[in-house]
Amino acid sequence: MKRWAAVMLAIWALAGVAGAKTTLTVGLDSDPPNLDPLLSSALVDRQVQNQIFDKLVDLDENLKVVPMLAQSWSVEENGTAYVFKLRPGVKFHDGTEFNAAAVKFNLDRYRTAQGSRRAGELASVREVQVVDNLTVKVILKEPFAPLLAILSDRSGMMVSPTAAQKLGADFGASPVGSGPFKFVERRRQDRITLAKNENYWMKGFPKVDELVYRPFPDDDVRTANLLSGAVNLITPVAPKDLDSIRKNPNLSATTFAGIGYQGIYLNVNKGPLANKALRQAFAATIDRETVDKVVFLGTAQPSNGAFPPSSFAFDKSIPAPKPDLELAKKKLAEGGKPQGFSFTLTIAPGPVLAQLAQVYQAMAAQVGIQVKIEQVEFGTLLDRGTKGDFEALAVGWSGRPDPDGNIYDFVRCKGPQNYAGYCNPKVDTLLNRARSVRLPEARRDLYSQVMKIVLDDLPYVYIYHPQTTIGLSKRVSGIPAIPDGILRFRAADLGE
Amino acid sequence: MTLFVLRRLVGGLPTLLLVTVLVFALTRVLPGDPALLLLGEEATPELVAKLRDEMGLNRPIYVQYASWAGSLLQGDFGRSIRDNAHVAPILWQKLPTTLELSLFALLIALLLGIPAGVVAALRRGSAADAGVTVLALSGISIPNFFLGILLVYLFSIRLGWIPPSGYVEPWVDLRKNLLLMLLPAFTLGTALAGAIARFTRNSMLEVLSQDYVRTAQAKGLGGRVVVYKHALRNAAIPVVTVIGLQLGGLLGGAVVTEQVFSIPGFGRLVVDSVFNRDFPVLQAVVLFSALAVFLVNVLVDLLYAAIDPRIRYG
Repeated sequence: MKRWAAVMLAIWALAGVAGAKTTLTVGLDSDPPNLDPLLSSALVDRQVQNQIFDKLVDLDENLKVVPMLAQSWSVEENGTAYVFKLRPGVKFHDGTEFNAAAVKFNLDRYRTAQGSRRAGELASVREVQVVDNLTVKVILKEPFAPLLAILSDRSGMMVSPTAAQKLGADFGASPVGSGPFKFVERRRQDRITLAKNENYWMKGFPKVDELVYRPFPDDDVRTANLLSGAVNLITPVAPKDLDSIRKNPNLSATTFAGIGYQGIYLNVNKGPLANKALRQAFAATIDRETVDKVVFLGTAQPSNGAFPPSSFAFDKSIPAPKPDLELAKKKLAEGGKPQGFSFTLTIAPGPVLAQLAQVYQAMAAQVGIQVKIEQVEFGTLLDRGTKGDFEALAVGWSGRPDPDGNIYDFVRCKGPQNYAGYCNPKVDTLLNRARSVRLPEARRDLYSQVMKIVLDDLPYVYIYHPQTTIGLSKRVSGIPAIPDGILRFRAADLGE
Repeated sequence: MTLFVLRRLVGGLPTLLLVTVLVFALTRVLPGDPALLLLGEEATPELVAKLRDEMGLNRPIYVQYASWAGSLLQGDFGRSIRDNAHVAPILWQKLPTTLELSLFALLIALLLGIPAGVVAALRRGSAADAGVTVLALSGISIPNFFLGILLVYLFSIRLGWIPPSGYVEPWVDLRKNLLLMLLPAFTLGTALAGAIARFTRNSMLEVLSQDYVRTAQAKGLGGRVVVYKHALRNAAIPVVTVIGLQLGGLLGGAVVTEQVFSIPGFGRLVVDSVFNRDFPVLQAVVLFSALAVFLVNVLVDLLYAAIDPRIRYG
């Protein structure tokens, strides 16, 4: 009898332990380099940062800016001042109070700290003023419409001032925010462990006790871990693995609309593509529908420019260009190369990128354009892009919620990401005007004018908008589909 | 003996100095700018220039080398370019993992390789000999990434016996640790076992044809005693040399295998630091690997003396 009681007790204890702690494990495609929003520059960092840090504002499923740590805001002085009313009663994980002074500390840190990667995004800010304990006023140098969208990303992440001051350059190794999950530990290239924030300001959230991120750079390895049940969710899923996930009765695949784009820079200053007609000839051979079907099995979105359909700047009246071989031949003749010509396309490594390049190669070959494919490692690719040392270079953009973030630095004269070396003063004027106008319809109109010029000049061939496909166990629920591609685990739950 | 060890260690210093120069030069020859990579999507020419300055990359290369070498002498490996973390703790964190994987793989290689080589030598020309040869060559020639993925498919996805990848520290959960290490160690171990089996076989054949073996047999000693006491011990010298070379290589990190099984050891650290142009980390790992090869070789020399009493160091 005594022994039975002991056994029952042991079983009860085990069940209690098993039921007490729920751990959700997420497989990423690389190890997040830096968790401090001040120093972070990789997209993958944001996956983890968004659980640790709350932002002043967030995005909803339609890319609309919604309240987060700021409960409301108003735009004053002709768009040169933003007044934020803050959420009361919020505390950082280390117990520090969140208030107007904390907001000022954070924004000033991003604007001025040494090595800040956020300084560029916040360059329009002249001053941050504490109005009262829960009111902050951000004064701009000139009207800057993208500000709110920028505050929904790393520039709006609020870190604990106490911890940031204490840890300095080491803050990224033990980050402290006010988000739904607290940082516990990280082992490089192995895992990052986060634990539920018991005192989260949104009552009843988060639902799971522990969130673990593990990096799997290899697509096969990432998928194998999902298939075997070692992780509950992976992002992204390689197109070739979609089938095995969809066929598995315990798993599902969900596709999120993205906010970025992919395509090819064409060097407008040197090589054969410096000739505009030849750029147009090459671009006319690209069949975007086929690219989507063949390479992405229908999970990408053929593109008509820098703005994805989820953006307010997306212009329905501009169609995604269709392949037109007659036009291509006409343009070849116009460019003085009726028999075709050849150029080198530089790409980064990876099976999908290689496959894409081969598809472009086959399409261009139909009119006698020979594409030579050159694969270089990513660091070298960026280097060559920055130096303008290429003829054509395939690299895309992860995207920003505000349209400005998808175009301003890319086609403006001497823009930092303007690898093609394109310069058109008319485009610059339109881009600057679109920054200062706040009405979305008016901004869309300006961006459409830019797009029409760029699609004709072709410093860049916009080919598709990538969508993020995640693979997950059917036990996982409560993850909103927000087009910035960041998974928010606040409401995520793990069923039986 | 102690004098010998000391002399070997001191004699290694010029080699290590040369390695530091080479490592430093090689990392600087890599195309690609660490500042540009670090800034990633936020890169602007001004920010890149400023960051290069902060990282000291604008100084002449010999100044950079001198400052790095100077810190090294004080035991300071510097800080990671990627996240500003101190390099030394990163190495210490990875060391047990790599050490465990290497020794586990070596154990599997020895358990498979030596008996197979002995059997092949004793039954020279038989089916067993041919079988060992085929297996050994397969072990050497099947690429690790292929064998690794095959094992994951079979044992993790099909059979579901072992988690496909990952790492748990032995002091957290020893059983799970060994289970997770089994497939990667086997993947690495089979390749080594192949080489060990071949060397053992050849060396054994040579020894078995020597006069003293025949004498031992003529004395009426049993086959087992002759093989293990007389032949194997004398055949061991070249085998130990091979094992030493391989262990040195393993300690530098198993790049491919660690990638396939998501083992956070030196191999993944190297790959990551190459891609991020994280020079301080890369330099430290390569230097450490060179040191490991060097130390293992000293150890091998000492083992020679232990195996063959005729070898004496003074």
